[in-house]
Amino acid sequence: MNGIRVGNRIIGTQGPVTVGWDNIPKVQGGPVKQFVFTWFQPAALFALLAFWYYAPNSIAKTSTAIYIGIGFKALLLGLEWVNPRYESWRLTWKELATDLFYVGLSYTLLRLVDGYIGSDVAIEAIRTHFHWDKFAWFTGLPLLVQAFLISFIFDFGQYWMHRGMHNWYPLWLPHSVHHYITQLNVNKGAVGNPVELFLIGLGIGGLFDFVPRAALLAGTFGLTIGIYQHINVRFNSPRWWRFLFNTTEHHSLHHSQDYEATRSNYSGAYIFIDRMFGTCIDGEAELLGLENGRRMSIREQMTHPFTEGWKAIRQGYRQTAQTALPAE
Amino acid sequence: MNLRYIEWIWHVSGRLALPPGESNAQAFDRLAPLFDQPGTTHQRTPDTLTFQKKNQAAQDKMSVFDGGVLQIAHGMAGRELHYRLISRALLYCFLAPLFFLAIGQLTITLAKFEKPPADAAKSAGKPKTPDKKDALVPLNPVDKFLGAPAPEKPKKDDAGGGHGKKASPTAAYVFAGIFAALYVIGRVLEDRLIRTVFRKALLGG
Repeated sequence: MNGIRVGNRIIGTQGPVTVGWDNIPKVQGGPVKQFVFTWFQPAALFALLAFWYYAPNSIAKTSTAIYIGIGFKALLLGLEWVNPRYESWRLTWKELATDLFYVGLSYTLLRLVDGYIGSDVAIEAIRTHFHWDKFAWFTGLPLLVQAFLISFIFDFGQYWMHRGMHNWYPLWLPHSVHHYITQLNVNKGAVGNPVELFLIGLGIGGLFDFVPRAALLAGTFGLTIGIYQHINVRFNSPRWWRFLFNTTEHHSLHHSQDYEATRSNYSGAYIFIDRMFGTCIDGEAELLGLENGRRMSIREQMTHPFTEGWKAIRQGYRQTAQTALPAE
Repeated sequence: MNLRYIEWIWHVSGRLALPPGESNAQAFDRLAPLFDQPGTTHQRTPDTLTFQKKNQAAQDKMSVFDGGVLQIAHGMAGRELHYRLISRALLYCFLAPLFFLAIGQLTITLAKFEKPPADAAKSAGKPKTPDKKDALVPLNPVDKFLGAPAPEKPKKDDAGGGHGKKASPTAAYVFAGIFAALYVIGRVLEDRLIRTVFRKALLGG
C-alpha cells in the first residue's frame, strides 16, 4: 500500500484508511433520514444541556443522570441497528455479551477499586495532608463555563495519558488490548484491561469545588460528544462538529490496522486538543485491530499486559546480563 | 457427574434435511465457506466434518462457536445433517450472573469493614472543623438571568464529598439479571441463527 501523506507522516501503508472529509461516504436514504442523521448529534447535545440547566433540583440528581445515560445508550444501539456505518461492524449476541461484561466491570469492580485508590481519593488525601482548600472560586463561574472546564480539564489529561499510552511501553501494555477490537459500537469504550480503564479514569477534578449541576452538565458533554467515538452509525456530522469534537470517523482511524494512523486522534471528546498538538487526522477506517484483526478473548485481555510485561522484563534482564558479561 | 444433563447449556445441536440427490461431499462443499475463516481449522471424512475455532473474528458468522461436529446420517425423512456445536461464550454467559452476584457480596462485605470507623466518627460528636461547604453557593449572575434554579444547601449526609459515598451492590445485581436474560436470549437466538445459516448454505442461497 502506498499510503497518503498527511503533514510529515505517511498514513495507510499497513492498513486501508480513508483520509479527508470529502472522501467519507454520506448517509444514504430519503430527506427525513438525511435530516435525522445530520442533526441528531447537535440536537441531543443542546437538548440535554438545556434539560440539566433548567431541571429543578429535585430532578437534577445523579440517579437521573444514570437513567438518562442508559436510555441514551439504548437509543444509540437502536440507531446502530437502523443506520450502521459498516455492515461488518454489526452487533452480534456474542459481541454484546462480551461488551456488557466490560461495562459491568466498570460499574461494579472498577467503581469499588476507585473508591479506595482512585484519583479523587488520592487528591482528597493530599488536600487533607497539606490542608489545601478546594479551588472555591470555581463555583462563582457561570454553570456552562464550569461544566466545560470540568470536562475540558479531564479530556486534556486524558489526551496526554492516552498519548503516553501510545508512546511508552509500560503504558502501552494495558492499553494495547483495547486496540484488538475489530468492530466499533457504543459499548466498545468500556472494552479493555481494567488497569487501563483505571488509568484513563484518573483526573484532577477533585481539586475543584463546583456546583453539583455543573458536574451533571459536564457529564452531558461526555455523554453527547465522547460517546460517538465508538459508535457504529453513519452521521453527516456538521462541519463545525467535526472540527471541534472527536467523531467515530476520527476514532476508527485511531483503531485502524495502520500503525501510523493509530498514533493520532487521542482526545476523548474534544478533537481540537489533537489539532492544537498536531496529532489530528480527519478520516476513517473499516478494518480495525492489531495482528491483522486477531480477536482477543476476555481471558487474554485480562492477562496480556502482565504476560507481555513479564516477557519484556525477562528479555531486558537477559540483554543486560549479556552486555554485562566481562570481555575476557 | 454425567455432563449429558447439563451440556445443553453450552451445546447447540440440531438436524436439517438435505436436498435430495446431493452427495455428502457436495453438501460439505456448500458448507465449506463457513469454515474457511481466520482462526478456523476443520477436518473432513466422507460423512463427518469436525471444526475448531480460536480467536475467531467478530465478523465470523459462527463466531459464537468454538468447535463442533457436523455429520450426515440417514434420518426418518431421508438424509439429514446432524450438528452438535460447542460455545464457550454461552457457558460463560450462563456463569456470568454468579460472577456479578459474587461482586455484589464482595461490595457488601467491604462496606461492613468500612462501617465501624464511620459510626465511631459519628458517635465521637462534632466534626473537627465546621465544613465550609455548608455555606450556600451563590449562583453566577449570568445563570440567574437565564433562569437556572439556585443550588440547594448541601445536606449534612452529603458533606465530605465522594469520600462518604456508600458502595452499593445494586449495580452488580442488575448486571447479574442482565446476564441471566442475555443467556436466555443467546441460547434461543444462536440456535435459530445457526440453523438459518446452515439451511441457507445447504440450499445454496
